[in-house]
Amino acid sequence: MSENSDNSKLILNVEDVSKVFCRNLKLAMRYGLYDLGKEIVGRGEDRAEGQLRPGEFYSIRNASFKIEPGECVALIGPNGAGKSTMLKMINGLIKPDRGEIRINGKIGALIELGTGFNPILSGRENVYINAAVLGMSKREVDEVYDEIVDFAELHDVMEAPVKTYSSGMRIRLGFSVAANLRPQLLLIDEVLAVGDVGFRMKCFKHLRTLVSNGVSIILVTHAIGMLQRVATRSVVFNRGRIVHDGELDAGCAVYEEILGASERIRTERLQQKTREAEIAEVTVVNKNDEPQTEFQTNDSLKIRILLKSKKKIENARVIVALNSPSIGTVSSVSTAYQEVRFDVDPAVHPDGRMLTLSFQELPLLLGAYHFNISLFGPETTEFFHRRSGCGNFRIIGPPIDVYGMGIHGILKVDHEWKLD
Amino acid sequence: MIQISLFQTHLFFNVTETTSESSTLENEVLPTLEIQTSDQLTVYNSQSEIKNPVEMFKNIAADFWSGRELGWRLFLRNLRGLYRQTFLGLFWAFLPPIANTAVWVFLRHQGVFEIGGDMEISLTVYILTGMILWQTFIDAFQMPLKVINQNRGMIAKLRFPRESLLLVGLGEVLFDFAIRSLLLIPAFLWYGVTPNLAVLWALPIALLMILFAAGLGMLIMPIGSLYQDVNRFIGIAMPFWMLTTPIIYVITGDMLENDPNTSLLVWLNPAAPLLVWARDLTLFGESPFVLPGMILAFLAIPIFLLGLAVFRISIPVIVERMNAY
Repeated sequence: MSENSDNSKLILNVEDVSKVFCRNLKLAMRYGLYDLGKEIVGRGEDRAEGQLRPGEFYSIRNASFKIEPGECVALIGPNGAGKSTMLKMINGLIKPDRGEIRINGKIGALIELGTGFNPILSGRENVYINAAVLGMSKREVDEVYDEIVDFAELHDVMEAPVKTYSSGMRIRLGFSVAANLRPQLLLIDEVLAVGDVGFRMKCFKHLRTLVSNGVSIILVTHAIGMLQRVATRSVVFNRGRIVHDGELDAGCAVYEEILGASERIRTERLQQKTREAEIAEVTVVNKNDEPQTEFQTNDSLKIRILLKSKKKIENARVIVALNSPSIGTVSSVSTAYQEVRFDVDPAVHPDGRMLTLSFQELPLLLGAYHFNISLFGPETTEFFHRRSGCGNFRIIGPPIDVYGMGIHGILKVDHEWKLD
Repeated sequence: MIQISLFQTHLFFNVTETTSESSTLENEVLPTLEIQTSDQLTVYNSQSEIKNPVEMFKNIAADFWSGRELGWRLFLRNLRGLYRQTFLGLFWAFLPPIANTAVWVFLRHQGVFEIGGDMEISLTVYILTGMILWQTFIDAFQMPLKVINQNRGMIAKLRFPRESLLLVGLGEVLFDFAIRSLLLIPAFLWYGVTPNLAVLWALPIALLMILFAAGLGMLIMPIGSLYQDVNRFIGIAMPFWMLTTPIIYVITGDMLENDPNTSLLVWLNPAAPLLVWARDLTLFGESPFVLPGMILAFLAIPIFLLGLAVFRISIPVIVERMNAY
């Protein structure tokens, strides 16, 4: 491997790493035995690219990325995309099947809070156990014990057995111990979506403190709404491959698009059977009727919906839900609400009936969005077709700010401040 | 797999409330922290660590050393946890050999089986001593698989010196062994048995037996943690295994020399030689099992080291499959 001057100051360098897993339990065990045998006789080596045994698949394939000191990078992607596998390899829990991971410096992980807790022992005893699991000595814990208790805000209950704690208290204690991990590279897996809001903010502030002190952080989470509080860069995984490496916002949008697409595939699969009427096409256009997928906050936008039917549908209804994959439905509108009555009649419109829905000055903020559209007859029970995750578009500007210096969220709400 | 250039780690936990220049957010006041740094380079790739055995055993030794505190903590945790929720407390550590001995002494008195050979000392002391050693052998043999199964969650999620689990396991085996050996004191007094001076030799032999059994246990641990068949098989085979070991009966030197079946049984049974040798030295000061015992005593440490290597190398492969069940 070339060791140029650039790579030498990297905290982490993942180079062309692949990892193969097997979903079949019996085969997985058999391969395990075989691989173990190879390891023990010292013949473990790189897997040939693309060579899989029956039942195997790539959990990670040809992944490369680098992290510099003081960077906070989020690994995002749908379930099973390979994020956690990557984290496990970086943490040294499992070995890559191909490629190499180099870490320059001390590494720590915040994977599961309160590992090693024994419920019948007291909070105090468990602090020492958990800290030892994380690699701290008794002397080190003695020095920071009061800080840990302060951070967890559990002064009164430290002598009680941990099994009398609520789950929130346990997590607070776990995080407070782990907060004393200050390595050069910190791995965090899905632990931030816990605790009450106040404590969560405290955790984020702690992470920002670490980053400002030069700690590099790798974060794995599904709660991408929270990422902006700490991460600056994102690496997006989809089916084992890295599909984006760069700016956080762009990464979140890519991720939301992946989620939208998988939902679309799911509903399409459910509706494979022949239907009498369908939503044949959905196109997002700008105010000049030109197809467009990237907009700014407060741009106007239209969707053109082509409906086709084999028989005449009288008083058809269309429901359009504007969705954000991370929060769900932003707004849902229907033809019935504005008392738009129309028929879909193949005799009158042999190529299908086109319907246009305009949104004036859409106040959406940065992110990816899509529509879920349903076609009904006049009765609630007369359902014809639903298309999910269609009409994808992105709001790409202006930037948002989660630190209280600007605005963020989903909507830009009209507002005014006044001083008395 | 892991190459670690030996490192220096600095740990500081002082938090000073000063404004940091390079804060993520302007105007947000973030404290300055001391970061734990080291110049250690860690490399993970698909290569097998065993390719460089010297380096590997250095790493094993380093991990035993760095895992000593964690091992001690977990040992205390298990010990305190074990007896805090019981009424009888430590008594439970004494119970298995007492119960086993009682069963066999009872059966012997009912004339269910013959003990064989001449016995100058009390049958109870004879069986109890053997039982204590047998229990220790089995505990040590099952220890590696047990620590892996008990700490699955931790192993699958966290990186810590895995050898600390062996320290916990060995610590527990030794602790139980020590506690149970205390039983011999009242038993010797009650039955008027004077231990031979050679008992001083029995202790190191028993320790070698523990290392040997733990080594065997580590060798089968990988298969045992992949396939549950191993554990089930051991469960079924254990009573038979105990009966093929001369604990409740005597194998004399004469039988060992002249009865090919007996000697075959002894040579095939890895539990027998060191166990019987240690027991005989404690009670009689001499043993017909010196030769097989010596051979296993020489093998004990190499087997233990081989076990350590297999234990270390197999853990990543096992962790990969832990999520599968």
